[in-house]
Amino acid sequence: MPGALDDLRVIDATGPIGHYAGRLLSDLGADVIKVEPLDGDPARLWPPFLPDTPAPEGGLLFLLLNANKRGVRLDLSGERGREAFLRLVATADVLIESWSPEEAGSLRFTDQALRAARPDLIHCSVTGWGLDGPSAGLAYADIVTCAMSGVMQLAGFPDGPPEQLPALQSHACASINAAAGILAAVLHRDATGEGQRVEVSAQEALLMAQETAMQGADINGVDRVRNGGAGVLPVKMPGLGVYEVDDGFVYAMCTGTAGSGFPGLVRLMTDLGFEHGLDREPYATFIRTSMTTAQVTALLQDPAQSGRVRSLLEEIEVVVSAFFRRYPKETLYVQGQERRALIGAVNGPREISESVQLAARGWFRGIDDAGRGRTLRYPGPPWHLHGTPATLRRPAPLLGEHNSEVFRESGLSADAIAALNSGGSPAR
Amino acid sequence: MTNAHESRPAPRPLAGVKVLDLTWFGAGPIATRSLANLGADVVRVETGKRPDGLRIAGPKPAGNASLNVSGYYNNYNAEKRSITLDLTTERGHELGLALIRWADVFMTNMTSRAVRQVGMSWETVREANPGIVAMYQPMQGMTGPHTEFVGFGAVLSAICGVNAFAGSEGRPPIGVSTNYPDYVVNPMHAVVALLAALRHRRRTGQGQLIDMSQLESSVAALAAPVFAWDNAAVEYRRQGNRVPHAAPHGAYRTSTEGDRPDRWLVLACLTEAHWRAAAGVMGHPGWAHDARFASLARRKEHEDALDALIEEWAADQHGPDAAARLQAAGVPAGLVLNATEILHDEHLQTRAYYAYPEHPEAGVRAYDGPGFRLSATPVELRGPAPLLGEHTTDIATEILGLAPDEVAALIAEGVLA
Repeated sequence: MPGALDDLRVIDATGPIGHYAGRLLSDLGADVIKVEPLDGDPARLWPPFLPDTPAPEGGLLFLLLNANKRGVRLDLSGERGREAFLRLVATADVLIESWSPEEAGSLRFTDQALRAARPDLIHCSVTGWGLDGPSAGLAYADIVTCAMSGVMQLAGFPDGPPEQLPALQSHACASINAAAGILAAVLHRDATGEGQRVEVSAQEALLMAQETAMQGADINGVDRVRNGGAGVLPVKMPGLGVYEVDDGFVYAMCTGTAGSGFPGLVRLMTDLGFEHGLDREPYATFIRTSMTTAQVTALLQDPAQSGRVRSLLEEIEVVVSAFFRRYPKETLYVQGQERRALIGAVNGPREISESVQLAARGWFRGIDDAGRGRTLRYPGPPWHLHGTPATLRRPAPLLGEHNSEVFRESGLSADAIAALNSGGSPAR
Repeated sequence: MTNAHESRPAPRPLAGVKVLDLTWFGAGPIATRSLANLGADVVRVETGKRPDGLRIAGPKPAGNASLNVSGYYNNYNAEKRSITLDLTTERGHELGLALIRWADVFMTNMTSRAVRQVGMSWETVREANPGIVAMYQPMQGMTGPHTEFVGFGAVLSAICGVNAFAGSEGRPPIGVSTNYPDYVVNPMHAVVALLAALRHRRRTGQGQLIDMSQLESSVAALAAPVFAWDNAAVEYRRQGNRVPHAAPHGAYRTSTEGDRPDRWLVLACLTEAHWRAAAGVMGHPGWAHDARFASLARRKEHEDALDALIEEWAADQHGPDAAARLQAAGVPAGLVLNATEILHDEHLQTRAYYAYPEHPEAGVRAYDGPGFRLSATPVELRGPAPLLGEHTTDIATEILGLAPDEVAALIAEGVLA
């Protein structure tokens, strides 16, 4: 079956902030060529590594984000490298890079120069702060763009530091936005023949992830703070939040109107044979009529009710905590969900890797990585497009693996390719 | 002199694209909002009987419980049109199918069960409009033993690894205190797929089904620890603000003197040059030559000692000043900003990130700008979120071709309500 982008060529000259953008486009069928500096992309040096395969070929993050791409190494600051790069750009529909405005200037890869090589180029820049504005020239790193986008303000315990998002999420979110912007630009080019500039700031890409914090500040002048996941009520709401279980943790959200709510959690207790007493008064009526976050919020505002409500909630919480502690997380998760109780197992890498749901959907895929002498297991794509399925076609490139092939395609002579390949920095 | 050419709005890549939006809460509406900001005509189907939970949730102005003033809802629905239509009635379902026939794109993030209840399964939708691009986004996808599982982003965060990966060892895995995957990862992954499918449709005339499991989408964006486990048996360790590839790397409390309370500085030394520069800014250039800190591997080995030194230094620093000095030396550094600071941030204001469209009930409020910018076809918010059912009559007459008295009757009957 065709890929939605299998007529497109993409040059990916990004650092780690933009790797996932090219990966998404390659999954959709695009021919993506990764251009790395002579000594390789920085992520090639980042641990952890494959067993027995050190840098520059064994870095797992690099392998994950650069599968499906071909790879060349090139000294962009030298004259020969610059010419070879522009020749490559001339053959491409899309260029993605992550140069700071200063770097782009010193490389003389202005949008104008690139557009001279390819007039209808879709040229995407993925950087920490965008291409203009007073902070555009600042240095960035994932944790810094997380911090400056407000998401760290929300995460963590009151007695600890604000916490970063895990697994380089500002890179992921910037890259996903870049892929979306590139596709919008492709649609415009398909219709008009006109290329354009796509610009992503990692800070801006994450601002939406502040949830309600921005609106709370804008509407009510109140800033959310990190509270250890305690939720918005002044009391501990039973059935809401992280609970320790027999072999780990679950997250429960059994206090809304979605799913079977708190009564569903009580049903789960009963069905698992847990002696809970919540079907007796004074609990039974309270649970039937008042155990949603909205109802409890209203009751707490009534001084005549608030004391009684607080003590009921505390008593119920004792039962709920004891219940969760007694059972393993898979039981609570699967049996709870079968009763439409909003419970999620806190899954680590092993549980995700062994998920029966992901297995049933054939989500993980193996690929033979001959250059590294093994078969690697890759997570699948974010979606299943039935008419134009995503494909995993090749492993991540070895450093410079496709120099000859790619530059031959772009019309360079064998001598010129040999000069580019001759180690060191060819044009210096 | 007025210039007609200059006042003409810029072209938009999705002008003319018609989207039937049966999403709610976060992950769905944010995706269709992005399509609206690219120029699509997005018709959001709602009901007064069971409004979007975000219309009920806040933040709202104190004492105002209106379904039209939630900042949470409004931010995710800018520039859409809203029709109230009860799909569970027979006539309502017929009208729903007429909207399906009108649309180029259909999207829902409702549970499979809710989709069945409103009669909008893929089989029904495809039969009504074989050329449509339809995205279904149940939490765990349209097939498999867990296809009926339900949850919001916070439940999904646990299942997809956010909770296990975030925070520090020895502390409960609370995650990142939001419904994280709902806001960028899932909606923007959805936009990528929808735009790719629209392109395929323009080239071939063929629509398609997109089965988007929010679990798969979230794991795809967080996959590094899973990939490392599968291929190198690496046991993931929660390390707070540390990462394997850089040190120092963290958040450090700075002085509150002349600054706001609870101020934290973040910095990341990704290279040896960053570390030498940081040590210089901290007034201890010798730290860079200290045998314990002379390479990344050594710093990772002695990270507790390293962080203790930086914590001690930071405690006396004015945060904004320290961040500026580190940045001047080329070190990635910044402050943990709160939402008020972000709304007033000079950089974001210069870039006009936030938009302030006027809403008839909520007034002039901040809306998030787009996560990407386009030079020739700017991504813009050209209007606020709709009132509940604001466009019911317009849509019923223009798209569904009903006469005004029919519309009034259907409103009275509770079909268009």
